[in-house]
Amino acid sequence: MITTTSVLAATGPGFLSPSGVEIAFLLVGVVTLGAAVITVTTKQLVHAALWLVVALGGLAVEYLLLTAEFIAWVQVLIYVGSVVVLLLFGLMLTRAPIGRSPDADSGNRPVALAVAVAAGAALVWVVVDAFRHTWIDLEGPVQGSTEVTGRILFQHWVLPFEALSVLLLAALVGAIVLSRKNAAAAEPGTTGGPGSAGEPGRPNPGRRTRTPGRPAKETRSRPAQEAPGRPPTADPSEPPQKEQR
Amino acid sequence: MNDVLDVALRLLLVFVLFLVLPLLVGQTEHKVMAHMQGRLGPMYAGGFHGWAQLVADGVKFAQKEDIVPAGADRRIFQLAPALALLPYLLVLLVIPIGPSESAVGQHIDAGIFYVLAVMGVGVLGSLMAGWASANKFSLLGGLRTAAQLLAYELPMLLAAASVAMAAGTVSLGGILNAWEWWWLPWQIIGALVFFTAGLAELQRPPFDAPIADSEIIFGAYTEYTGLRFALFLLAEYAGIVIVCGLTTVLFLGGWHGPWGADGLGWVWTLLKTAVLAFVVIWLRVSYPRLREDQLQKLSWTVLIPLALAQIALTGIVKVAIQ
Amino acid sequence: MAPIPGSGLAKGLAVTLRTMTKKTVTAQYPETQPELPPRTRGVIGLFEENCTVCMLCARECPDWCIYIDSHKETMPPAAPGGRERSRNVLDRFAIDFSLCMYCGICIEVCPFDALFWSPEFEYAETDIHELTHERDKLREWMWTVPEPPALDPGAEEPKEIAAARKTADKLEAQQAAEAEAARGQQTAREQEGPA
Repeated sequence: MITTTSVLAATGPGFLSPSGVEIAFLLVGVVTLGAAVITVTTKQLVHAALWLVVALGGLAVEYLLLTAEFIAWVQVLIYVGSVVVLLLFGLMLTRAPIGRSPDADSGNRPVALAVAVAAGAALVWVVVDAFRHTWIDLEGPVQGSTEVTGRILFQHWVLPFEALSVLLLAALVGAIVLSRKNAAAAEPGTTGGPGSAGEPGRPNPGRRTRTPGRPAKETRSRPAQEAPGRPPTADPSEPPQKEQR
Repeated sequence: MNDVLDVALRLLLVFVLFLVLPLLVGQTEHKVMAHMQGRLGPMYAGGFHGWAQLVADGVKFAQKEDIVPAGADRRIFQLAPALALLPYLLVLLVIPIGPSESAVGQHIDAGIFYVLAVMGVGVLGSLMAGWASANKFSLLGGLRTAAQLLAYELPMLLAAASVAMAAGTVSLGGILNAWEWWWLPWQIIGALVFFTAGLAELQRPPFDAPIADSEIIFGAYTEYTGLRFALFLLAEYAGIVIVCGLTTVLFLGGWHGPWGADGLGWVWTLLKTAVLAFVVIWLRVSYPRLREDQLQKLSWTVLIPLALAQIALTGIVKVAIQ
Repeated sequence: MAPIPGSGLAKGLAVTLRTMTKKTVTAQYPETQPELPPRTRGVIGLFEENCTVCMLCARECPDWCIYIDSHKETMPPAAPGGRERSRNVLDRFAIDFSLCMYCGICIEVCPFDALFWSPEFEYAETDIHELTHERDKLREWMWTVPEPPALDPGAEEPKEIAAARKTADKLEAQQAAEAEAARGQQTAREQEGPA
């Protein structure tokens, strides 16, 4: 099916006598646009996310109609399969009421509209400017097929590709660092209370061996405090401790 | 005209397979699970060893009233089962069962991507069901479903990428054409990771925390009844068929067999798929359910490193061969 | 020795696979009758001929589920000119099995061995009133009561057999003694005769 559409697109008639593929392209485009508009105007949060699925899926179909098969499936895989799921996950985890949420509307509509128009204009301008003098060879293998995409990506665009992957890696590492830092900050608050702040005179043998978290501090402080007397008293406490386990 | 007939025939065949194979798996599950637990399983429906049990179940489901909870989001609630089921039908379309060009519903160039992408969409059905039911257990089930999908999609993709690297193509038929018997030990880790992650994505035991009946009733499907519930069940069993078929195609060599490769290739594919489906049932009977945190831990600390190691191994061997 | 990682998982799989190859334990009840132990307590049967309408069972029953009706009959005197005897005749003996809790006390207390456990268990009814079974039904169940179990080897003889044997032995001894005595007399007479 897909190969036939690509052939159709390549050999179809001119611009003013549209082929079936072109009509389909337009119709899907209208649907996609409509879904996108509903996404930003609906008052129901989860509905917005689901309309986003329709919009993204519509985009994937457009890619397919443009014979960019690989991009289409990656679009579905990443955006519909993962990003929207993550979005829904976040919505459900925080708040996702059934029905309208009156506060879902943003107060600064004009600004948002201006930003959107500016972004759209910039994108259109960049694309038009970049491809103004580019001619696509329709005779060779179909542009957008997996093989061609892979070849282009890993021959002409290897450097940007690798730079992007490094960027993603940096983001990944950053996320890990952030989450670990939080965990470390929370740790003294929880473990500092009963165990380590105990009186210096009382040995806490159970604590000492069972908190592997900070062995250095404990072993350093105790012998210094009670080097002569403690080892004999600490030893008898060992057997019952083993029995407890 | 001939082309139209050909396409129609293929679609019909795939559709029939889509309806029959999940029922077969379901019936096998009934019987195998029963015998593994020292029981007999269904014995009455249809006369001979309860072969028509699932048909009877279907009739029962069709007779039930279709209830939508008062507080539910009606349209999304009703749409969810279809969205859960449809992707599996679309995936079945591209799984090649035989070596010839005609033994596949529709050949797709980026087969692996297509398959994984569409399977990921199916989970949206569960998410929608969980949210739209207006039930806290359903919502919890939906949340768990989403968390599980996010965790297990990655190892599945990585394992599939390993095979794609080995074959040098992302088309399912191309992978099978390049397949040699020694890929079996070479890709065994990837196969295990893929199969495990596939199980988790289907929410089959022992990865069924999203529908854990002892904790959250039936997860996202708690409020469903009648035909819509049956659709969810059908989706689960269709999912088993798909995951087993994909594992067969990607890792077990599909139509390749010790003998009778020409003409009987499809038998090998079906046989391997059936064996894997048996393993799915076997795992369900043998293992207890993983807790939610264990689920996440298994994916992020075991499966993903294993998948990465498999990719590294694949790369090394690939370079060494050349 | 440290276990091989994953051996526990393999063991679990092995257990289920082994169970699958074994015979199942499901009882296909309506098709195949269950093999019950011989002393199964299914239902209570009545051996009418032994019943003397002493009412002990009805009184001891914790649920009061035994109904007994009777009337007195006068029997002609055993010997001419003797006193007339009266005797209880059973009119109705019914057990309400919707109340019965199968404690078996009635069977224990019956002094004349008129009540027995029967392994019969298929007497469900669609109406609770029909669970009150009358004497004819109870008598029918009596046919399903199995033989008393054989005694252990080397066990003491049952009381009744021991008593019967004792009587028989005594009788035999008596007869033997009489015969002996008769013979002794005869020989004495023979010895006396010629003298």
